Amino acid sequence: MPAVQDTIDRVRKIDVDQYKYGFQTEIAMDKAPKGLSEDIIRFISAKKDEPSWMLEWRLEAYRRWLTLDEPTWARVHYPKIDFQDIYFYAAPKSTPGPTSLSDVDPELLKVYEKLGIPLREQEILAGVQKTDASELEEVSDNVYKSGRVAVDAVFDSVSVVTTFKKELAQAGVIFCSISEAIREHPELVKKYLGSVVPTSDNYYATLNSAVFTDGSFVFVPKGVRCPMELSTYFRMNEKNTGQFERTLIIAEEGAYVSYLEGCTAPQRDENQLHAAVVELVALDDAEIKYSTVQNWYPGDAEGKGGIYNFVTKRGDCRGDRSKISWTQVETGSAITWKYPSCILRGDDSSGEFYSIAVSNGYQQVDSGTKMIHLGKNTSSRIISKGIAAGFSQNTYRGQVSAHRKATNARNFTNCDSLLIGDQCGAHTVPYMEAKNSTAQFEHEATTSKISEDQKFYVMQRGIPEEEAIALIVNGFVKDVIQQLPMEFAVEAQKLIGISLEGSVG
Amino acid sequence: MNMHTQPQRTSAETALIDAFGDRLSLLPGDGAVMLKRDDAIEAIKHGLPTRRIESWHYTDLRRLLNAVPDFDPAAMTKAVAPIVEGSAVLAVLNGKSDAKTPAVEGVTVQRLSEKLTDGSAAPGLDPYGSDDAIGALNTAFVADGYFVDIADGAELEKPIELQNLQAGGQTHVRLMVRVGAGAKAVIVERQAGEGAALVSSVSQLVLGEGAEVTWLIVQEQPETATHLAQFKAHIGKNAKLTLFVMNAGGRLVRQEVMVRTTGEGADFKLRGINLLAGDTHTDVTMVLDHAVPHTASTEVIRNVVTGKARGVFQGRINVHQYAQKTNAKMACNTLLLSDDGEFSTKPELEIFADDVVCGHGATVTEIDHDHLFYLMARGVDEKTARGLLVKAFVAEVIEELDDETIVDALEAKLDDWFVTHG
Repeated sequence: MPAVQDTIDRVRKIDVDQYKYGFQTEIAMDKAPKGLSEDIIRFISAKKDEPSWMLEWRLEAYRRWLTLDEPTWARVHYPKIDFQDIYFYAAPKSTPGPTSLSDVDPELLKVYEKLGIPLREQEILAGVQKTDASELEEVSDNVYKSGRVAVDAVFDSVSVVTTFKKELAQAGVIFCSISEAIREHPELVKKYLGSVVPTSDNYYATLNSAVFTDGSFVFVPKGVRCPMELSTYFRMNEKNTGQFERTLIIAEEGAYVSYLEGCTAPQRDENQLHAAVVELVALDDAEIKYSTVQNWYPGDAEGKGGIYNFVTKRGDCRGDRSKISWTQVETGSAITWKYPSCILRGDDSSGEFYSIAVSNGYQQVDSGTKMIHLGKNTSSRIISKGIAAGFSQNTYRGQVSAHRKATNARNFTNCDSLLIGDQCGAHTVPYMEAKNSTAQFEHEATTSKISEDQKFYVMQRGIPEEEAIALIVNGFVKDVIQQLPMEFAVEAQKLIGISLEGSVG
Repeated sequence: MNMHTQPQRTSAETALIDAFGDRLSLLPGDGAVMLKRDDAIEAIKHGLPTRRIESWHYTDLRRLLNAVPDFDPAAMTKAVAPIVEGSAVLAVLNGKSDAKTPAVEGVTVQRLSEKLTDGSAAPGLDPYGSDDAIGALNTAFVADGYFVDIADGAELEKPIELQNLQAGGQTHVRLMVRVGAGAKAVIVERQAGEGAALVSSVSQLVLGEGAEVTWLIVQEQPETATHLAQFKAHIGKNAKLTLFVMNAGGRLVRQEVMVRTTGEGADFKLRGINLLAGDTHTDVTMVLDHAVPHTASTEVIRNVVTGKARGVFQGRINVHQYAQKTNAKMACNTLLLSDDGEFSTKPELEIFADDVVCGHGATVTEIDHDHLFYLMARGVDEKTARGLLVKAFVAEVIEELDDETIVDALEAKLDDWFVTHG
């Protein structure tokens, strides 16, 4: 435990008002005109040098989107979004398709350094610049030992750089931006894109299908255990832009991959839209672990500005004995609206969802998961911890369903909410649907404030109140933090401290 | 009741709207009451709720209500023996209350048709909001029922049993009960009948300061009837309400429970058992508002699903911003005994106050194999062992009621159900 002053300082640094990633960077940008139309979609597709089937796919999604109404069922309130007032494409002006870090605009690299993601150093340290194959092998050995992370950095609409590509390629793993994958591996993209989240899925997923600009693509072939953690870092920089990224991760038979995602955005008065789609496909015996630390700009203390985070994330346990695990730490965004889900199609497949959602200020969170049990002997586990402070509204909304043929489906759900202050709200809306008598579903939820007893217990051991609360809150979320990869766990713990600033007392 | 414009009216919607036109001249009510009826039928003209309406997500009334019978004013039926011997019986037969009512000390009974005619029942007729299809249906068509007033301090020795017995056709009944300060009573609400009827029944209860009431709803409609019911209560300061709901019949059943604590120290207990069989659909939906500080509630619902039955439990606990020190706990446990049956549950917590302790739990499972093994290892055959375990599972809830005569009466009902559906 650090000294009190230390805690206060640390907390102040990460206050809602002092969002540490709120800086903006002047970078020459290449933008499409504002608004949305078929022309804009053709423009994006042309910019990305896409094959015609991709353009057709986008246009079809766009036409469908025009027929859809914006959903209103979630417990979030916001003014109507004017889709004609958004830039759907913004990319840093740079040499076309940088192949290595040295081609990347140094300003951009500085941004990532500032964010604590020193792309260059990492590569240099790992010695990737060496091209000799034997030396590379040596390097990759080191990589296994030191547990490095390959990063795909997405800046506004495009992926600016992907590190460790060569090494990953040696293992057979494809890790690149989705635009590159559309060009280089069309057969894989064609086969899997839209197979988990179809273009007609929902309003924002359909919009994303029409206008997505970039994102990451991961393919882990049969029997390969991905040699390092993969990570994408999303940064929104330009004013009035929407970010529409698309991530597709495929783990073939017996493959394993762990993927991390982080996000930040500058501090702005107006709201920005982020509507992403993430699709995971796990074949027989494959395992995908997907972790998110979401720290988009949450808006200021009066609730002005911030990101609308409307995301569709879904994993398909297509093969027998496959496993998909979602872990998320949600601290940012003015509005979060996402339900990372698992479709447990294969027999003996399993899905997991671990979530911490912290809301403060005027943030609104409506998040949860869906576990759809279709195969036999499938199991799922949901642990959700919501912490609401300030004037925020924090909702857990989740669905667990067992279909007729899903014999021996097993689910355990636990969602706890902690309220700090009397101006916030915590809500739990679980849906449980059992259509098979062998299904075994358990759900439990509690809502409370930090009990005086707990606080008293800690404080009477000489620990001041602020630290006592931090200690109890960390204990409250421990189950989820444990699921995060080490590098993120530390960051996540700090974030939780920040987000709760001002709510203690 | 529905923001979406419906493309086309279903035959049930058309039948209801036509029936309203036909019945209008026969419905009692002064100007105020008739205005409320008009508003209510307007709501129905907008369409019955579908699964897109969140509170009807698992009971798509528009799709499920596929036949609306005509009114059958000539049909006859008789009051039945009360479940607790010696109860004062107030029967509504085929939608009409009886002019002769038993005299009970401290209790004033009035026919609802009189209160509709003179307009004094008008203030209670408003539906609960735009999604309240049952309230709207009942307000449009209600013709009779009872108004029961239990005087301050009255302690009733025997239960009052309100019977709503349908004889086919349509029956729309309202039962209004006011319990004075410090009064104590047991009230039984029987819902039964003989025909393929459409029944709407709304019960309204107001509990004065320190009043204590146990209210039992025993629903045993035939497997051909549609039963749409609502129970609404306001619990005053330091008052206690124990509501017991038993659903053991009906083709399409929706029992709504809407309770609001209006005084500090109010205490609410809900105990429910749903015994589901055949090709039926039963939905129990509760909305509980903790509107003032220092109130408590516990809810326990047990469900047994057999055959092709579909069951639903939705329970929402709203804790308002000033309702500090609320203590609310809800549990919904289901035994799913058949592969063709299904059960959906949605326990919700909506909490705006911080100093509260709220929790809910829900489980769906089959019979525990260890328990079964335990009994079978002692020579009990499987069928008997299963029967014992299922019965114990629901009887546990009944036994919580501390009145022995009531427990016996309800357990007898339980036995009846197991004899026919075991």
